[in-house]
Amino acid sequence: MSDDREMEFKSSATLSVGVELELQILNSRDHDLARDAADLLGMLEKAGHPGAVKPEITESMVELNSSIHQGYDTLVAELKTIRDAVTKAAERLNLRIAGGGSHPFHQWTDRRIYPTERFKHLLELYGYLAKQFTVFGQHVHIGCPNGDAAVYLAQILSRYVPHFIALSASSPFQQGEDTSYQSSRLNTVSAFPLSGQIPFVHSWEEFTAFFNKMRNFGIVESMKDFYWDIRPKPEFGPVEVRVFDTPLTVERAAVLAAYVQALAHHVLNDRPAAPERDVFTLYNYNRFQACRYGLDGTLIDAYGGERRKLADDVLLTLARIAPNAGALGSAAVLNGLGSSIMSGPTDAQWLRQAYKERKSLNDVARMQSERWMGRQPAVA
Amino acid sequence: MIRPELRSVPDVRLVLQRRESRPTRPITMTSFLPTFPLPTNPLLLFGLLLLAGVVGGELAKRALRLPRVVGYVLTGLLLSGVGLFDAKIVRESWIFVDIALGLILFELGRRLDFSWFRRDPWLAATGVLESALSFALVLGALVYFDVRPIYAAVAASIAIATSPAVVMVVAQELKAEGQVTERALSLVAINSVIAYVTATMLLAWIHHEYHAGWTTVLLHPVYLLAGSLLLGYLASVSVVGLGRWLGKSERGHSVAALALVIVTVGLAKALELSVVLSLLAFGVLSRSLDKRHDLMPFEFGRIGEMFVVVLFVVGGATLRMDELVTGGTLALVFILARFVGKSIGVLALTYFSGVRRGAAGLLCLALTPMSGLAISMVQGTTSMYPEFGAHLAAIVLSAVLIMELVGPVAVQFALRRAGEAVEAENK
Repeated sequence: MSDDREMEFKSSATLSVGVELELQILNSRDHDLARDAADLLGMLEKAGHPGAVKPEITESMVELNSSIHQGYDTLVAELKTIRDAVTKAAERLNLRIAGGGSHPFHQWTDRRIYPTERFKHLLELYGYLAKQFTVFGQHVHIGCPNGDAAVYLAQILSRYVPHFIALSASSPFQQGEDTSYQSSRLNTVSAFPLSGQIPFVHSWEEFTAFFNKMRNFGIVESMKDFYWDIRPKPEFGPVEVRVFDTPLTVERAAVLAAYVQALAHHVLNDRPAAPERDVFTLYNYNRFQACRYGLDGTLIDAYGGERRKLADDVLLTLARIAPNAGALGSAAVLNGLGSSIMSGPTDAQWLRQAYKERKSLNDVARMQSERWMGRQPAVA
Repeated sequence: MIRPELRSVPDVRLVLQRRESRPTRPITMTSFLPTFPLPTNPLLLFGLLLLAGVVGGELAKRALRLPRVVGYVLTGLLLSGVGLFDAKIVRESWIFVDIALGLILFELGRRLDFSWFRRDPWLAATGVLESALSFALVLGALVYFDVRPIYAAVAASIAIATSPAVVMVVAQELKAEGQVTERALSLVAINSVIAYVTATMLLAWIHHEYHAGWTTVLLHPVYLLAGSLLLGYLASVSVVGLGRWLGKSERGHSVAALALVIVTVGLAKALELSVVLSLLAFGVLSRSLDKRHDLMPFEFGRIGEMFVVVLFVVGGATLRMDELVTGGTLALVFILARFVGKSIGVLALTYFSGVRRGAAGLLCLALTPMSGLAISMVQGTTSMYPEFGAHLAAIVLSAVLIMELVGPVAVQFALRRAGEAVEAENK
């Protein structure tokens, strides 16, 4: 793993898009997290389905991977097919599957590490953080032609990280409490020493030098050890955006992927700006605003210094990238995203509303799973 | 059992005399002191049983590395072995057994998920097949060994049931969770229902055997089944309604459910209905009638645990080591036929449920325990026809004794081996 070939950038189909979704496995009794990942994976293996479903750090999670797509239509179709396969397998085992960035009331002390060497190592290294890491994110992969393009894309997309957070925020509850955040998941991620953002570098060469330095210090062995919000993935060629909470539905996940793809199209084709150091100066503030307040949060634009409501900044961006979306065939989808910002509710709001109506987090988890599995939530 | 005593005139008089005698007793210097020997009372009994059980369970765990349940049973055996546990105390403490069984059967019923059976019909089929096969094989084997068919049939119906208490308690002790645990509990729920319904139907035969009138032969099983179901239904309507009225409160709901479980146990006894069937029906229906999800999920937790300890101590005390000798080979035949029947059923169909390899074998082990439920089924017949009960007890109870000790170990092994026990990990 750790020889220099790892940092050889393998180019991938430019602007291709792929999605990873970390999902919650619930029991059907009280809708707490279950521990049946191994059985679920075994059953899925027998049944067969497109894409891939893999284990994650604890036995209460699985990760669903799409294949690589050129656009939204085939992506959403495939995600739905995988969802139906996972749902069917889960129901045969009397399990439920849910989206959302956090489970509303599970206790991290109940979690068990999925028994692979890597996950056992993570438990040994990070201690209780490994079990607390039972939070659920979506990753979007965007294909890049070369390493320099990947570094550029990662730098420019950093400015839009608050968008990604606010649009996907779906972890208002953790450990049985309302956190007051829209996305509390990222606070959990922030506890890891190698989380955060890509360093301010300008070329693949500079980036490789940074990586080698970290490796020589013995801090990392591979790119996998960085838990950055956005990271280049040299072995497959794409840039990976990792700040999303897993949305409540696969449809929403595909829409968010289409948004990143159109943005990337804009960045790589229109080359709108040079990377700006102030994006990183303001990074944590803007990120916090998005986590805490979602689309109602404030974003300070590093390029002009203006303060804007996050929702407005997203709408402005959508207008700017409309031609790119048109070129990718996702104009209608992103229009829909724009109107969803105006009309609401976001996933986090939906979850809070569910709690307000039902007054029970068990019900919230149940409705969360019914929604993800494509079943009608009984009595919302 | 109690009614004849109350009816007999001298007893009642005695009771009355005792009551009247108190105020008229001359006041002496020591009149505030208790008289010896101390009269037992249920509180003292419950506390002492609990205490003994806790110590016994812990010793079994520490010294023998056995599940605590085994320790509770051994404590009971020991207490009765040294003569501290006479028939009267067993009778008095039976109320705790009923409450404990009530709580366990209610929880088991709540786990019975019919929507799962729709999605995985093989699971339900497994439950029916293993029940049928264990009944058939035990019946056949006992008849082959010259047991009269009527005894053999009732014994075989008892053989169908796996002890819900043992499986639930061991699973809780190990904090086990996963497919083997969940499937084992569902199979237990299925076979408990089938066992009880079968045994109730066989009552008609027993009545006929003892020349009861035709009305009794026909109506008693019907009364038991329909009455218990109705009682369970009313209890679940009440708990759902009460839950809705109380609003979403886990504490409120568990107290309400606990109260209704005890009321239902009490009513079932007062109405001469079946505690087992009423509480199972209560559990199942309280889940399936709750379409709007008004009830919070709840557990009886510590309170349930207390009753369970006493359940096993008393259960152990009703069994006697010398029964092992009288039961002898017949007990082994019974156990073997039952195990083979259950195993064939489970091994034949579990594959189709699509669970991982090896799960079926572990399920066979997890279905072995017998305990309080079986004892209570034996007692059900004893109370009506003591002679029949005595015969039946001779066949069944020695097997129960063995399986009450071996069963928990088998369940513990199965759940650990399945990787579903928490303590198996890095704790």
